[in-house]
Amino acid sequence: MRIVEVIIASFIIMFALSFANMLAVTPTSPKYEVTELEKMGYNVLFDLDKRGILANFVYNRQWNDLQAALRVLLPLDVYFNLTVCYLNGTEVNEIPIFYGNRETFTSSKNVASVTYCLCGYFNSTINNADYDPRILILQLVRG
Amino acid sequence: MKIIKNGRGQYVIIAILMIAIMIISIGALMHRAVTYYRHEPWEEYLALIGNIELNSKRLVELSLANYSRTLNQSILKTNLEKWKTDIQSTYIGKGITLNYELANNSYNVYGTIIKYSSGLNCSRLQRKSFTAANATFTLDITSIGLTGYKFTALTFLNLTILSVSGRIINATVKAEYKMPVVGLTKENFQVRFGNTVVPILSTRSCYDTKEGIIYTIECAQNISTPIILEVSDSRGIKVIAQYT
Repeated sequence: MRIVEVIIASFIIMFALSFANMLAVTPTSPKYEVTELEKMGYNVLFDLDKRGILANFVYNRQWNDLQAALRVLLPLDVYFNLTVCYLNGTEVNEIPIFYGNRETFTSSKNVASVTYCLCGYFNSTINNADYDPRILILQLVRG
Repeated sequence: MKIIKNGRGQYVIIAILMIAIMIISIGALMHRAVTYYRHEPWEEYLALIGNIELNSKRLVELSLANYSRTLNQSILKTNLEKWKTDIQSTYIGKGITLNYELANNSYNVYGTIIKYSSGLNCSRLQRKSFTAANATFTLDITSIGLTGYKFTALTFLNLTILSVSGRIINATVKAEYKMPVVGLTKENFQVRFGNTVVPILSTRSCYDTKEGIIYTIECAQNISTPIILEVSDSRGIKVIAQYT
């Protein structure tokens, strides 16, 4: 009789453990992955913007420099795809601002997308100080 | 032993089991508690708030640069109205509302009395001239329960002509918080006598304990007063001063 009780007790403990494991969300879960990538993306764009580099690259169409800056600031295993758009959604960048394997973006379940808005830039060569917003859409995925 | 003999052993086991389940449940709850804040994308939202705040301030600077060149008094209001609408449509689903209030009274800004109209004002053709803008923003992001986050964009550029003698003009250029503007070259300045532009040979700066940084502008010819000196900083904000 005692043996039966011990077996039942073991089952209950195992059930409780698996239930607890089901509730807990570990840091490596997909739920964290996208959030972490979004945080990373926002911080990188904000950091570049705060230093005044981002607007300079975007409005002077220095796409290669922008790609290089993102490659330096993002970890090596993080792939990115940046699209610069006008407000109506038309793409500004003629060449892709991209790093990594394109297939990873279609195959991965954890693709983070970050939207960043720029208001304009003073162009000293033509003395233009008009409101001219650009929308940056940065997609991130871990390779 | 007495308990077992009386056939009550199962109660002890059930009690132990209950305690075990409670400990495990508490463990699971504690794990959730310590990992709860990892779920909240605070840093992501901080960067989003930073993005809106930084670019709102940039837009005030950009509008001031435009105003200092065109004297269009409504440019700040027009730009901020567009920005307000565009922000809402760009971050659709996040419930972002950006409101603004333009300064319309007299303010003492770093020792200078500025009477704003639609958030803008400038003083031109004085020995001490300035260009200034002032707008206060209120940001709400309903998706994260943020309401009433206020920030002020105060943009200011001052040009003071200290002295004019021979071919030399000494002047100071100060921005917000009376911070001297550094890194200006001869391309940033323009000297005029009436409508005639006087060529600048060189510009150099030196540190002064009282004024901070003094720019010495050497012209190609001797200057006679009244002389007009223009400066445009890296943000495109222009100030025009006159020395009589």
